[in-house]
Amino acid sequence: MRGLVVAGLAVALVLLVLYPMVASGYEIRFMLQLFMWVALAQSWNLISGLTGYVSFGHVAFFGTGAYATGILITTHGWHWAAASVAGGLAAAILALIIGYPCLRLKGPYFAIAMLGLNEVMRVLVSYFEGLTGGGMGLSLPTLYASVQIYYAMAIAALAVTGAAYLIVTSRFGLRLMTIREDEIAAAAMGIDTARHKLYAFLLSAFVPGVVGGLFARDQGYIEPIAVFPLAFTITMIVMALFGGKGTVWGPALGAATLFVLQELVWVRFLFLHQVLFGAIIILVVLFMPRGVLGVLQQRYRLPRYV
Amino acid sequence: MSDRVEASVLEISELTKRFGGVTAVNRCSLALAPGRIYGLIGPNGSGKTTLFDCITGLIVRDGGTVRFRGRRIDGLPPHRVAALGVGRTFQVIRVFPELTALENLLVVSRRDRDGALRRARELLAFVRLDELAAEYAGNLSYGQQKLLEFVRVLMLGPTVVLLDEPAAGVNRTLLNELLAAIRRLRDEGRTILIVEHDMKVVMGLCEHVFVLDYGEKIAEGPPEEIQRDERVIEAYFGR
Repeated sequence: MRGLVVAGLAVALVLLVLYPMVASGYEIRFMLQLFMWVALAQSWNLISGLTGYVSFGHVAFFGTGAYATGILITTHGWHWAAASVAGGLAAAILALIIGYPCLRLKGPYFAIAMLGLNEVMRVLVSYFEGLTGGGMGLSLPTLYASVQIYYAMAIAALAVTGAAYLIVTSRFGLRLMTIREDEIAAAAMGIDTARHKLYAFLLSAFVPGVVGGLFARDQGYIEPIAVFPLAFTITMIVMALFGGKGTVWGPALGAATLFVLQELVWVRFLFLHQVLFGAIIILVVLFMPRGVLGVLQQRYRLPRYV
Repeated sequence: MSDRVEASVLEISELTKRFGGVTAVNRCSLALAPGRIYGLIGPNGSGKTTLFDCITGLIVRDGGTVRFRGRRIDGLPPHRVAALGVGRTFQVIRVFPELTALENLLVVSRRDRDGALRRARELLAFVRLDELAAEYAGNLSYGQQKLLEFVRVLMLGPTVVLLDEPAAGVNRTLLNELLAAIRRLRDEGRTILIVEHDMKVVMGLCEHVFVLDYGEKIAEGPPEEIQRDERVIEAYFGR
Protein backbone atom coordinates (compact mmCIF):
# COMPACT_ATOMS: atom_id res chain seq x y z
CA MET A 1 0.00 0.00 0.00
CA ARG A 2 2.68 2.41 1.02
CA GLY A 3 4.85 1.45 -1.94
CA LEU A 4 1.91 2.16 -4.22
CA VAL A 5 1.46 5.61 -2.69
CA VAL A 6 5.14 6.42 -3.12
CA ALA A 7 5.04 5.24 -6.75
CA GLY A 8 1.94 7.35 -7.37
CA LEU A 9 3.60 10.38 -5.87
CA ALA A 10 6.70 9.85 -8.02
CA VAL A 11 4.60 9.71 -11.18
CA ALA A 12 2.69 12.82 -10.14
CA LEU A 13 5.98 14.59 -9.49
CA VAL A 14 7.34 13.76 -12.95
CA LEU A 15 4.11 14.98 -14.56
CA LEU A 16 4.27 18.23 -12.62
CA VAL A 17 7.85 18.81 -13.71
CA LEU A 18 7.00 18.18 -17.37
CA TYR A 19 3.70 20.08 -17.25
CA PRO A 20 4.99 23.57 -18.19
CA MET A 21 6.51 22.17 -21.39
CA VAL A 22 3.13 21.21 -22.75
CA ALA A 23 0.80 23.63 -21.01
CA SER A 24 -0.39 27.03 -22.17
CA GLY A 25 0.31 30.22 -20.27
CA TYR A 26 -3.16 30.13 -18.72
CA GLU A 27 -2.76 26.51 -17.71
CA ILE A 28 0.57 27.17 -16.06
CA ARG A 29 -0.85 30.04 -14.05
CA PHE A 30 -3.83 27.90 -13.13
CA MET A 31 -1.59 25.27 -11.57
CA LEU A 32 0.60 27.96 -10.02
CA GLN A 33 -2.41 29.30 -8.16
CA LEU A 34 -3.56 25.83 -7.22
CA PHE A 35 -0.17 25.21 -5.60
CA MET A 36 -0.45 28.53 -3.84
CA TRP A 37 -3.74 27.49 -2.25
CA VAL A 38 -2.38 24.09 -1.29
CA ALA A 39 0.52 25.79 0.46
CA LEU A 40 -1.75 28.29 2.21
CA ALA A 41 -4.30 25.70 3.37
CA GLN A 42 -1.49 23.43 4.59
CA SER A 43 0.13 26.30 6.50
CA TRP A 44 -3.11 27.21 8.23
CA ASN A 45 -3.56 23.57 9.15
CA LEU A 46 -0.19 23.45 10.94
CA ILE A 47 -1.31 25.84 13.64
CA SER A 48 -5.10 25.66 13.51
CA GLY A 49 -5.73 22.06 12.48
CA LEU A 50 -3.14 20.57 14.80
CA THR A 51 -3.22 22.76 17.92
CA GLY A 52 -6.80 23.98 17.54
CA TYR A 53 -5.73 27.63 17.69
CA VAL A 54 -7.91 28.94 14.89
CA SER A 55 -6.22 31.77 13.05
CA PHE A 56 -8.55 34.22 11.35
CA GLY A 57 -5.76 36.42 10.15
CA HIS A 58 -3.39 34.12 8.37
CA VAL A 59 -3.37 36.30 5.29
CA ALA A 60 -1.43 38.82 7.41
CA PHE A 61 1.63 36.60 6.91
CA PHE A 62 0.93 36.33 3.20
CA GLY A 63 0.69 40.10 2.85
CA THR A 64 3.77 40.69 4.99
CA GLY A 65 5.74 38.31 2.82
CA ALA A 66 4.42 39.97 -0.33
CA TYR A 67 5.47 43.43 0.80
CA ALA A 68 8.84 42.35 2.19
CA THR A 69 9.58 40.63 -1.11
CA GLY A 70 8.25 43.51 -3.20
CA ILE A 71 10.39 46.04 -1.34
CA LEU A 72 13.52 43.89 -1.54
CA ILE A 73 13.05 43.45 -5.28
CA THR A 74 12.19 47.05 -6.16
CA THR A 75 14.49 49.02 -3.86
CA HIS A 76 17.32 46.58 -3.21
CA GLY A 77 17.37 44.70 -6.49
CA TRP A 78 17.16 41.24 -4.91
CA HIS A 79 16.43 38.18 -6.98
CA TRP A 80 12.80 37.16 -6.48
CA ALA A 81 13.66 33.71 -5.13
CA ALA A 82 15.91 35.07 -2.37
CA ALA A 83 13.47 37.89 -1.72
CA SER A 84 10.61 35.41 -1.29
CA VAL A 85 12.56 33.41 1.27
CA ALA A 86 13.23 36.71 3.05
CA GLY A 87 9.48 37.37 2.84
CA GLY A 88 8.94 34.08 4.66
CA LEU A 89 11.42 35.13 7.33
CA ALA A 90 9.66 38.50 7.71
CA ALA A 91 6.37 36.67 8.23
CA ALA A 92 8.00 34.35 10.77
CA ILE A 93 9.42 37.33 12.66
CA LEU A 94 5.97 38.89 12.73
CA ALA A 95 4.63 35.56 14.04
CA LEU A 96 7.28 35.53 16.75
CA ILE A 97 6.35 39.03 17.90
CA ILE A 98 2.61 38.47 17.75
CA GLY A 99 2.60 34.81 18.80
CA TYR A 100 4.27 35.34 22.13
CA PRO A 101 1.36 37.34 23.58
CA CYS A 102 -1.47 36.06 21.37
CA LEU A 103 -0.91 32.33 21.78
CA ARG A 104 -1.84 32.77 25.44
CA LEU A 105 -5.33 33.71 24.33
CA LYS A 106 -7.82 30.89 24.21
CA GLY A 107 -10.37 29.94 21.61
CA PRO A 108 -12.27 32.80 19.98
CA TYR A 109 -9.99 35.41 21.55
CA PHE A 110 -7.02 34.14 19.58
CA ALA A 111 -9.12 34.09 16.40
CA ILE A 112 -10.20 37.69 16.96
CA ALA A 113 -6.67 38.83 17.80
CA MET A 114 -5.43 37.36 14.53
CA LEU A 115 -8.23 39.04 12.65
CA GLY A 116 -7.10 42.29 14.24
CA LEU A 117 -3.50 41.63 13.24
CA ASN A 118 -4.49 41.49 9.61
CA GLU A 119 -6.34 44.82 9.83
CA VAL A 120 -3.39 46.42 11.61
CA MET A 121 -0.91 45.18 9.03
CA ARG A 122 -3.02 46.50 6.17
CA VAL A 123 -3.28 49.92 7.78
CA LEU A 124 0.44 50.00 8.58
CA VAL A 125 1.36 49.14 5.02
CA SER A 126 -0.95 51.87 3.73
CA TYR A 127 0.51 54.36 6.18
CA PHE A 128 4.21 53.93 5.43
CA GLU A 129 3.92 55.27 1.91
CA GLY A 130 7.62 55.97 1.46
CA LEU A 131 8.46 52.32 1.83
CA THR A 132 5.38 50.60 0.46
CA GLY A 133 3.80 53.05 -1.92
CA GLY A 134 0.79 53.24 0.41
CA GLY A 135 -2.60 52.96 -1.22
CA MET A 136 -1.01 53.52 -4.62
CA GLY A 137 0.57 50.11 -4.37
CA LEU A 138 3.98 48.87 -5.37
CA SER A 139 4.96 48.02 -8.92
CA LEU A 140 7.66 45.45 -9.44
CA PRO A 141 10.01 45.58 -12.45
CA THR A 142 8.58 43.68 -15.41
CA LEU A 143 9.70 40.08 -15.57
CA TYR A 144 8.30 37.04 -17.32
CA ALA A 145 8.95 34.24 -14.90
CA SER A 146 5.69 32.34 -14.76
CA VAL A 147 7.33 28.98 -15.34
CA GLN A 148 9.98 29.52 -12.65
CA ILE A 149 7.35 30.77 -10.24
CA TYR A 150 5.23 27.75 -11.10
CA TYR A 151 8.12 25.55 -9.97
CA ALA A 152 8.72 27.67 -6.88
CA MET A 153 5.05 27.44 -5.88
CA ALA A 154 5.10 23.69 -6.49
CA ILE A 155 8.14 23.37 -4.26
CA ALA A 156 6.44 25.45 -1.56
CA ALA A 157 3.31 23.28 -1.72
CA LEU A 158 5.28 20.04 -1.66
CA ALA A 159 7.61 21.24 1.08
CA VAL A 160 4.80 22.26 3.43
CA THR A 161 2.94 19.01 2.72
CA GLY A 162 6.13 17.08 3.43
CA ALA A 163 6.60 19.07 6.62
CA ALA A 164 3.01 18.28 7.62
CA TYR A 165 3.72 14.59 7.04
CA LEU A 166 6.86 14.69 9.18
CA ILE A 167 5.12 16.63 11.92
CA VAL A 168 1.92 14.61 12.08
CA THR A 169 3.81 11.31 12.22
CA SER A 170 6.18 12.52 14.93
CA ARG A 171 5.74 12.85 18.66
CA PHE A 172 6.10 16.60 18.19
CA GLY A 173 2.96 16.50 16.05
CA LEU A 174 1.09 14.33 18.52
CA ARG A 175 2.00 16.80 21.22
CA LEU A 176 0.61 19.64 19.11
CA MET A 177 -2.62 17.65 18.94
CA THR A 178 -2.71 17.24 22.73
CA ILE A 179 -2.96 21.04 22.88
CA ARG A 180 -6.07 20.85 20.71
CA GLU A 181 -7.46 17.95 22.71
CA ASP A 182 -6.85 19.27 26.21
CA GLU A 183 -4.23 21.93 26.77
CA ILE A 184 -4.38 21.73 30.58
CA ALA A 185 -3.89 17.99 30.61
CA ALA A 186 -1.04 18.40 28.12
CA ALA A 187 0.74 20.84 30.44
CA ALA A 188 0.14 18.57 33.41
CA MET A 189 1.78 15.76 31.42
CA GLY A 190 4.99 17.72 31.11
CA ILE A 191 4.41 19.11 27.62
CA ASP A 192 5.71 22.64 27.17
CA THR A 193 2.60 23.83 25.40
CA ALA A 194 3.73 27.44 24.95
CA ARG A 195 6.88 26.40 23.12
CA HIS A 196 5.10 23.81 20.98
CA LYS A 197 2.45 26.32 19.92
CA LEU A 198 5.08 28.91 19.05
CA TYR A 199 7.10 26.50 16.88
CA ALA A 200 3.98 25.45 15.01
CA PHE A 201 2.98 29.08 14.61
CA LEU A 202 6.38 30.13 13.21
CA LEU A 203 6.33 27.39 10.61
CA SER A 204 2.72 28.13 9.85
CA ALA A 205 3.61 31.79 9.17
CA PHE A 206 6.83 31.21 7.24
CA VAL A 207 5.23 29.42 4.30
CA PRO A 208 2.51 32.03 3.60
CA GLY A 209 5.27 34.63 3.73
CA VAL A 210 7.21 32.84 0.99
CA VAL A 211 4.06 32.24 -1.02
CA GLY A 212 3.06 35.89 -0.63
CA GLY A 213 6.44 36.85 -2.02
CA LEU A 214 6.02 34.58 -5.02
CA PHE A 215 2.51 35.96 -5.51
CA ALA A 216 3.89 39.52 -5.51
CA ARG A 217 6.48 38.60 -8.14
CA ASP A 218 3.92 36.78 -10.21
CA GLN A 219 1.41 39.64 -10.11
CA GLY A 220 4.03 42.33 -10.65
CA TYR A 221 1.92 44.79 -8.68
CA ILE A 222 0.69 44.70 -5.09
CA GLU A 223 -1.52 46.96 -3.03
CA PRO A 224 -2.79 46.66 0.54
CA ILE A 225 -6.29 45.45 -0.30
CA ALA A 226 -4.92 42.89 -2.76
CA VAL A 227 -2.53 41.12 -0.38
CA PHE A 228 -4.39 41.46 2.94
CA PRO A 229 -7.91 40.36 1.97
CA LEU A 230 -9.92 38.62 4.67
CA ALA A 231 -11.38 36.47 1.89
CA PHE A 232 -7.99 34.75 1.49
CA THR A 233 -8.01 33.67 5.12
CA ILE A 234 -11.57 32.41 4.81
CA THR A 235 -10.70 30.52 1.65
CA MET A 236 -7.72 28.72 3.19
CA ILE A 237 -9.80 27.82 6.23
CA VAL A 238 -12.64 26.44 4.13
CA MET A 239 -10.19 24.44 2.02
CA ALA A 240 -8.56 22.90 5.08
CA LEU A 241 -11.92 22.19 6.72
CA PHE A 242 -13.33 20.66 3.56
CA GLY A 243 -10.39 18.32 3.05
CA GLY A 244 -9.95 17.52 6.73
CA LYS A 245 -8.18 19.66 9.29
CA GLY A 246 -5.46 18.00 11.31
CA THR A 247 -4.71 15.48 8.56
CA VAL A 248 -1.68 15.46 6.24
CA TRP A 249 -3.42 15.41 2.86
CA GLY A 250 -6.74 16.96 3.81
CA PRO A 251 -5.80 20.59 3.24
CA ALA A 252 -4.16 19.72 -0.10
CA LEU A 253 -7.23 17.78 -1.18
CA GLY A 254 -9.54 20.59 -0.06
CA ALA A 255 -7.46 23.25 -1.79
CA ALA A 256 -7.28 21.31 -5.05
CA THR A 257 -10.98 20.41 -5.07
CA LEU A 258 -12.34 23.83 -4.22
CA PHE A 259 -9.91 25.71 -6.43
CA VAL A 260 -10.70 23.57 -9.45
CA LEU A 261 -14.43 23.90 -8.79
CA GLN A 262 -14.10 27.62 -8.41
CA GLU A 263 -12.09 28.10 -11.58
CA LEU A 264 -13.86 25.67 -13.86
CA VAL A 265 -17.47 25.93 -12.82
CA TRP A 266 -18.24 28.85 -10.65
CA VAL A 267 -16.47 31.48 -12.65
CA ARG A 268 -19.33 31.18 -15.13
CA PHE A 269 -21.82 32.15 -12.47
CA LEU A 270 -20.34 35.24 -10.93
CA PHE A 271 -22.82 35.80 -8.12
CA LEU A 272 -23.84 32.23 -7.65
CA HIS A 273 -20.25 31.29 -6.97
CA GLN A 274 -20.19 33.33 -3.75
CA VAL A 275 -23.46 31.75 -2.67
CA LEU A 276 -22.16 28.28 -3.43
CA PHE A 277 -18.98 28.93 -1.50
CA GLY A 278 -21.02 30.02 1.52
CA ALA A 279 -23.27 27.00 1.16
CA ILE A 280 -20.27 24.69 1.13
CA ILE A 281 -18.99 26.24 4.37
CA ILE A 282 -22.33 25.65 6.06
CA LEU A 283 -22.71 22.10 4.75
CA VAL A 284 -19.18 21.10 5.75
CA VAL A 285 -19.52 22.53 9.24
CA LEU A 286 -22.93 20.94 9.74
CA PHE A 287 -22.48 17.51 8.23
CA MET A 288 -18.77 16.91 7.89
CA PRO A 289 -16.93 18.90 10.53
CA ARG A 290 -13.94 16.59 10.16
CA GLY A 291 -13.79 17.08 6.41
CA VAL A 292 -13.49 14.42 3.73
CA LEU A 293 -10.31 12.80 4.98
CA GLY A 294 -11.27 13.25 8.62
CA VAL A 295 -14.42 11.21 8.04
CA LEU A 296 -12.53 8.51 6.14
CA GLN A 297 -9.88 8.43 8.82
CA GLN A 298 -12.42 7.85 11.56
CA ARG A 299 -14.39 5.28 9.61
CA TYR A 300 -11.57 3.24 8.14
CA ARG A 301 -8.87 3.77 10.74
CA LEU A 302 -6.47 5.26 8.27
CA PRO A 303 -3.00 5.80 9.68
CA ARG A 304 -1.99 9.32 10.63
CA TYR A 305 0.18 9.83 7.58
CA VAL A 306 -2.88 9.93 5.32
CA MET B 1 9.32 8.59 64.68
CA SER B 2 10.63 7.60 61.31
CA ASP B 3 8.61 10.12 59.30
CA ARG B 4 10.03 12.97 61.32
CA VAL B 5 13.59 11.88 60.62
CA GLU B 6 12.99 10.98 56.99
CA ALA B 7 13.20 13.98 54.68
CA SER B 8 9.90 14.84 53.05
CA VAL B 9 9.76 14.27 49.32
CA LEU B 10 6.93 16.80 49.02
CA GLU B 11 6.48 19.51 51.59
CA ILE B 12 3.60 21.94 51.38
CA SER B 13 3.80 24.80 53.78
CA GLU B 14 1.12 27.36 54.63
CA LEU B 15 -0.34 27.11 51.15
CA THR B 16 -3.13 29.60 50.49
CA LYS B 17 -5.35 30.18 47.48
CA ARG B 18 -8.18 32.68 47.26
CA PHE B 19 -10.79 33.06 44.55
CA GLY B 20 -12.22 36.53 45.00
CA GLY B 21 -13.57 36.57 48.55
CA VAL B 22 -13.45 32.79 48.95
CA THR B 23 -10.40 31.22 50.49
CA ALA B 24 -10.34 27.84 48.79
CA VAL B 25 -7.15 26.69 50.50
CA ASN B 26 -6.16 28.31 53.76
CA ARG B 27 -2.62 27.94 55.13
CA CYS B 28 -2.43 24.23 54.47
CA SER B 29 0.68 22.36 55.44
CA LEU B 30 1.29 18.75 54.46
CA ALA B 31 4.50 16.76 54.47
CA LEU B 32 4.80 13.55 52.45
CA ALA B 33 7.56 11.03 53.10
CA PRO B 34 8.85 8.88 50.23
CA GLY B 35 7.32 5.49 49.50
CA ARG B 36 4.02 5.96 51.26
CA ILE B 37 0.36 6.28 50.36
CA TYR B 38 -1.47 9.30 51.68
CA GLY B 39 -5.14 10.12 51.61
CA LEU B 40 -6.67 13.55 51.23
CA ILE B 41 -10.30 13.70 52.24
CA GLY B 42 -12.89 16.30 53.00
CA PRO B 43 -16.44 17.29 52.05
CA ASN B 44 -17.21 18.64 48.58
CA GLY B 45 -15.71 22.06 48.07
CA SER B 46 -13.18 21.66 50.87
CA GLY B 47 -10.29 22.56 48.57
CA LYS B 48 -8.80 19.18 47.68
CA THR B 49 -8.66 19.70 43.94
CA THR B 50 -7.55 23.32 44.36
CA LEU B 51 -4.68 22.04 46.49
CA PHE B 52 -3.71 19.64 43.69
CA ASP B 53 -3.91 22.46 41.16
CA CYS B 54 -1.62 24.64 43.30
CA ILE B 55 0.93 21.88 43.80
CA THR B 56 1.10 21.10 40.08
CA GLY B 57 1.24 24.74 38.99
CA LEU B 58 -2.05 24.77 37.11
CA ILE B 59 -3.18 27.64 39.27
CA VAL B 60 -0.93 30.15 40.95
CA ARG B 61 -1.06 30.10 44.73
CA ASP B 62 -1.48 33.30 46.74
CA GLY B 63 0.83 32.30 49.55
CA GLY B 64 2.93 29.54 51.01
CA THR B 65 5.51 27.24 49.50
CA VAL B 66 5.71 23.84 47.86
CA ARG B 67 9.00 21.98 48.03
CA PHE B 68 9.81 18.88 46.05
CA ARG B 69 12.94 17.10 47.28
CA GLY B 70 13.85 20.29 49.08
CA ARG B 71 13.57 22.45 45.99
CA ARG B 72 10.84 25.04 45.66
CA ILE B 73 8.44 24.25 42.85
CA ASP B 74 5.72 26.79 43.58
CA GLY B 75 5.67 29.33 40.78
CA LEU B 76 6.97 26.86 38.19
CA PRO B 77 4.77 26.28 35.13
CA PRO B 78 2.89 22.95 35.16
CA HIS B 79 5.04 21.24 32.54
CA ARG B 80 8.16 21.89 34.61
CA VAL B 81 6.54 20.50 37.75
CA ALA B 82 5.50 17.39 35.82
CA ALA B 83 8.92 16.98 34.25
CA LEU B 84 10.57 17.16 37.67
CA GLY B 85 8.51 14.18 38.77
CA VAL B 86 5.24 15.36 40.27
CA GLY B 87 2.45 13.82 38.20
CA ARG B 88 -1.29 13.95 38.59
CA THR B 89 -4.57 12.64 37.30
CA PHE B 90 -7.80 14.55 37.11
CA GLN B 91 -11.15 14.16 38.79
CA VAL B 92 -12.91 14.64 35.47
CA ILE B 93 -11.40 12.46 32.75
CA ARG B 94 -8.87 14.33 30.65
CA VAL B 95 -7.49 11.81 28.21
CA PHE B 96 -6.75 13.07 24.69
CA PRO B 97 -9.86 11.69 22.94
CA GLU B 98 -8.68 11.85 19.32
CA LEU B 99 -5.37 10.26 20.06
CA THR B 100 -5.20 6.49 20.36
CA ALA B 101 -4.66 4.85 23.73
CA LEU B 102 -1.05 4.21 22.76
CA GLU B 103 -0.49 7.77 21.51
CA ASN B 104 -1.94 9.10 24.77
CA LEU B 105 1.03 7.52 26.50
CA LEU B 106 3.68 8.19 23.85
CA VAL B 107 3.26 11.97 23.97
CA VAL B 108 4.11 12.05 27.64
CA SER B 109 7.45 10.33 27.62
CA ARG B 110 10.68 12.13 26.96
CA ARG B 111 12.58 8.96 26.32
CA ASP B 112 13.69 7.98 22.83
CA ARG B 113 10.94 6.64 20.62
CA ASP B 114 11.69 2.94 21.11
CA GLY B 115 12.02 3.28 24.85
CA ALA B 116 8.78 5.21 25.03
CA LEU B 117 7.00 2.63 22.89
CA ARG B 118 8.21 -0.25 25.04
CA ARG B 119 7.19 1.48 28.26
CA ALA B 120 3.79 2.47 26.82
CA ARG B 121 3.04 -1.11 25.77
CA GLU B 122 4.10 -2.35 29.18
CA LEU B 123 1.77 0.08 30.91
CA LEU B 124 -1.16 -0.71 28.62
CA ALA B 125 -0.70 -4.39 29.39
CA PHE B 126 -0.48 -3.51 33.06
CA VAL B 127 -4.08 -2.22 33.01
CA ARG B 128 -5.19 -4.72 30.33
CA LEU B 129 -5.71 -2.16 27.63
CA ASP B 130 -3.09 -3.64 25.31
CA GLU B 131 -5.67 -4.91 22.84
CA LEU B 132 -7.17 -1.44 22.65
CA ALA B 133 -3.84 0.30 21.98
CA ALA B 134 -4.91 1.50 18.51
CA GLU B 135 -8.37 2.61 19.64
CA TYR B 136 -9.12 6.30 19.97
CA ALA B 137 -9.14 7.13 23.67
CA GLY B 138 -12.51 8.84 23.27
CA ASN B 139 -14.05 5.50 22.25
CA LEU B 140 -12.97 3.70 25.42
CA SER B 141 -15.42 3.14 28.27
CA TYR B 142 -15.38 5.49 31.24
CA GLY B 143 -13.53 3.00 33.41
CA GLN B 144 -11.00 2.28 30.66
CA GLN B 145 -10.35 6.00 30.18
CA LYS B 146 -9.82 6.30 33.92
CA LEU B 147 -7.23 3.52 33.77
CA LEU B 148 -5.61 5.06 30.72
CA GLU B 149 -5.25 8.33 32.57
CA PHE B 150 -3.78 6.46 35.49
CA VAL B 151 -1.06 4.84 33.41
CA ARG B 152 -0.49 8.00 31.39
CA VAL B 153 0.82 9.79 34.44
CA LEU B 154 3.17 6.86 35.05
CA MET B 155 4.85 7.59 31.70
CA LEU B 156 6.41 10.55 33.48
CA GLY B 157 8.17 8.17 35.83
CA PRO B 158 6.91 10.36 38.66
CA THR B 159 8.36 10.39 42.16
CA VAL B 160 5.10 11.78 43.53
CA VAL B 161 1.72 10.87 42.08
CA LEU B 162 -1.39 12.86 42.91
CA LEU B 163 -4.54 10.90 42.12
CA ASP B 164 -7.84 12.77 42.06
CA GLU B 165 -10.58 10.20 42.70
CA PRO B 166 -8.98 7.35 40.78
CA ALA B 167 -11.63 4.84 41.85
CA ALA B 168 -14.72 6.83 40.87
CA GLY B 169 -16.60 5.03 38.10
CA VAL B 170 -14.21 2.09 37.95
CA ASN B 171 -16.01 -1.25 38.33
CA ARG B 172 -15.27 -3.61 41.22
CA THR B 173 -13.04 -6.02 39.32
CA LEU B 174 -10.93 -3.26 37.85
CA LEU B 175 -10.94 -1.45 41.18
CA ASN B 176 -9.06 -4.24 42.94
CA GLU B 177 -6.48 -4.23 40.20
CA LEU B 178 -6.19 -0.48 40.43
CA LEU B 179 -5.65 -0.63 44.17
CA ALA B 180 -3.03 -3.34 43.72
CA ALA B 181 -1.35 -1.17 41.10
CA ILE B 182 -1.25 1.79 43.47
CA ARG B 183 0.36 -0.38 46.15
CA ARG B 184 2.92 -1.56 43.64
CA LEU B 185 3.82 2.05 42.89
CA ARG B 186 4.36 2.58 46.58
CA ASP B 187 6.57 -0.52 46.70
CA GLU B 188 8.67 0.99 43.92
CA GLY B 189 9.36 3.88 46.27
CA ARG B 190 6.91 6.39 44.81
CA THR B 191 4.79 8.61 46.99
CA ILE B 192 1.08 8.73 46.37
CA LEU B 193 -1.49 11.25 47.49
CA ILE B 194 -5.08 10.24 46.80
CA VAL B 195 -8.25 12.27 46.87
CA GLU B 196 -11.04 9.78 47.32
CA HIS B 197 -14.61 9.78 48.52
CA ASP B 198 -14.93 6.04 48.92
CA MET B 199 -13.96 5.61 52.58
CA LYS B 200 -13.39 1.88 52.17
CA VAL B 201 -10.74 2.66 49.56
CA VAL B 202 -9.15 5.35 51.71
CA MET B 203 -9.10 3.25 54.85
CA GLY B 204 -7.83 0.16 53.09
CA LEU B 205 -5.11 1.87 51.10
CA CYS B 206 -3.75 4.89 52.89
CA GLU B 207 -1.22 4.88 55.67
CA HIS B 208 -1.83 8.47 56.61
CA VAL B 209 -4.81 10.71 55.95
CA PHE B 210 -5.18 14.48 55.76
CA VAL B 211 -8.61 16.01 56.25
CA LEU B 212 -9.60 19.33 54.71
CA ASP B 213 -12.64 21.39 55.55
CA TYR B 214 -13.32 24.85 54.15
CA GLY B 215 -9.77 24.91 52.82
CA GLU B 216 -8.15 24.22 56.16
CA LYS B 217 -6.46 21.08 57.34
CA ILE B 218 -8.53 20.06 60.34
CA ALA B 219 -6.89 16.73 61.11
CA GLU B 220 -4.28 14.25 60.01
CA GLY B 221 -3.19 10.84 61.17
CA PRO B 222 -3.55 7.12 60.56
CA PRO B 223 -6.94 6.17 59.08
CA GLU B 224 -8.22 4.42 62.23
CA GLU B 225 -7.68 7.56 64.27
CA ILE B 226 -9.16 9.83 61.62
CA GLN B 227 -12.35 7.76 61.55
CA ARG B 228 -12.88 8.45 65.24
CA ASP B 229 -11.84 12.11 65.16
CA GLU B 230 -14.61 14.40 66.43
CA ARG B 231 -13.77 17.27 64.06
CA VAL B 232 -13.78 14.97 61.06
CA ILE B 233 -17.13 13.45 61.95
CA GLU B 234 -18.52 16.92 62.48
CA ALA B 235 -17.20 18.17 59.12
CA TYR B 236 -18.82 15.30 57.31
CA PHE B 237 -22.11 14.94 59.16
CA GLY B 238 -22.61 18.26 60.88
CA ARG B 239 -22.94 18.71 64.57
